[in-house]
Amino acid sequence: MSQKEEVKVDEKLVREIASLARLDLTDEETKTFVPQFQDILKYFSILNELDTENVPPAYLSSANKSVTREDEVEESVPTREFLANAPQAKDDYVIIPRVHIEQ
Amino acid sequence: MELHELSVQETHELLASRKISAEELTRVYLERIQRLDPKIKSYVTVPEELVLEQARDADQRLKTGEGLTPLTGIPYAAKDSLSTRGVRTTCSSRILENYKPFYDCTAIRKLKSTGAVLLGKNNMDEFGMGSSTENSGFFTTRNPWNFDHVPGGSSGGSAAAVAAGLAPFTLGEDTGGSVRMPASFCGVTGLKTTYGRVSRYGLLPLVSSFDTIGPMAHSAYDVALVLEAIAGHDPKDSTSRIESIQPYSEILKKTENLRGLRIGIPKEYFVEGLDPEMDASLRAAIKQLEGLGAQAVEVSLPHTQYAIPVYYLILFAEASSNLAKYDGIRFGLSERNVEGLLDVYLKTREKGFGAETKRRIMLGTFALSAGYYDAYYLKAQKVRTLIRQDFEKAFETCDALITPVAPTTAFRIGEKITNPLDMYLSDVFVVAVNLAGIPALSVPCGISKGLPIGMQIMGPHLSEEMLLRIGYMYQSQTDWHTKHPPCWND
Repeated sequence: MSQKEEVKVDEKLVREIASLARLDLTDEETKTFVPQFQDILKYFSILNELDTENVPPAYLSSANKSVTREDEVEESVPTREFLANAPQAKDDYVIIPRVHIEQ
Repeated sequence: MELHELSVQETHELLASRKISAEELTRVYLERIQRLDPKIKSYVTVPEELVLEQARDADQRLKTGEGLTPLTGIPYAAKDSLSTRGVRTTCSSRILENYKPFYDCTAIRKLKSTGAVLLGKNNMDEFGMGSSTENSGFFTTRNPWNFDHVPGGSSGGSAAAVAAGLAPFTLGEDTGGSVRMPASFCGVTGLKTTYGRVSRYGLLPLVSSFDTIGPMAHSAYDVALVLEAIAGHDPKDSTSRIESIQPYSEILKKTENLRGLRIGIPKEYFVEGLDPEMDASLRAAIKQLEGLGAQAVEVSLPHTQYAIPVYYLILFAEASSNLAKYDGIRFGLSERNVEGLLDVYLKTREKGFGAETKRRIMLGTFALSAGYYDAYYLKAQKVRTLIRQDFEKAFETCDALITPVAPTTAFRIGEKITNPLDMYLSDVFVVAVNLAGIPALSVPCGISKGLPIGMQIMGPHLSEEMLLRIGYMYQSQTDWHTKHPPCWND
């Protein structure tokens, strides 16, 4: 997409994004989001006023370079304790529903 | 004088000389919470038995004198995005309503080791997404100064608890003003720390490249005492700073003036639309700082107007990615009465997340999606570089910057909740600090129509010591930080 072009937000686009984001939006939520997204993205287009051709992106917040440590074996949380928060678990595994559903 | 009216330092003296016990002190706060918090709603969880157990442990330490610190036996509360072992940690989200972490975040672990007593967890905007606590999945916190107004957000519960005398200090978390703005709206002192100064280990993330934990209290001195206890390098957070921390409170005690200090007044922060009373309060505060020996100079941060879109685009993107883990599989809410795995994700997330969280996940997914990435996310990261350079340039000519915290005092509950863009714009003076990763202190500097006004003091990376010095000296000459809302005396 060119940076000058304005995105047209409609219900179809909102539904597509919802599917990517794994959100099962209601029709009402979808309708509300359309004008809100349009307003927000329109306001944010003021960034296009700036020429950033030769500006590097700033991903890191601190002056730290990438930090590594020695790969030493340490005690970590017992699996059972971790799994105490799982909605469903058995032995050392979480249980999930079927991935494939027969049509 | 009632116990809740004392500073951390004064309370410590009473505890150390054993004029009061930690249990007695803790019961005073528990009683106040029980009586006043149903109106203010600053707490999500108060695990009473565990609280008293900690207080008794602290009393043991006070008795033997072993391992005594300025925070031993001092009660406090923490924003509900800081993991607490065995104590519900919800981020004020339905999706984590019953989640009990099996470990403490580093900041909590460090406070535990000083013998401080965790009273409970504070309400917030869901996952830190908001400027008013109206986006909490549970309830809205009231501003203790006027119950019809918001306390600010997202650490609104933590600011309100300090302001109402329901905790002598709290730990907040600042991603884009979430410590400073509620501190200013509630008339307390709040520090946004340098990115990496306090470990993020165990902090439930909103925006991993912006998130910082910071203290809120009644004075810069009390904030310094807490910062000493929680700051420092942590091998468990690779972004935490390795530089050693300073004896902040000792330095404050030796500070007598601000001679030689150059304070910059960025003209982009004093624009039309700024409440006139707020403008006058800030000008008066700058005069006070000049009276202490500081020299004020005008500076420019030319990219200020772009901070809001840059901040929100990066937030949307990082938050949508960070919140992908709430899918009903490993922890948190899970909708299991469904057809298959995909439906677990869809139904759990639809039911567990509030409107603003969904809105931001959606916008982030959009900003990162194929075809739009360059125009939104990459563009925002590039402008972030320009904003960071603005600060670097400003700090070549001055040591610190003075600005308002928000364009208005605390707004009314309901005033901005139906217009998300309007709510985003209330963050206009606070978000640039997070883009640059620098620290900033919010101190009370006035009252307008019964609601507090805050002054923001910004400095370069790791300048916490200087910011606290400015706040401390300002508070030695003024009494705004000693003013309290009507419910203080209830």
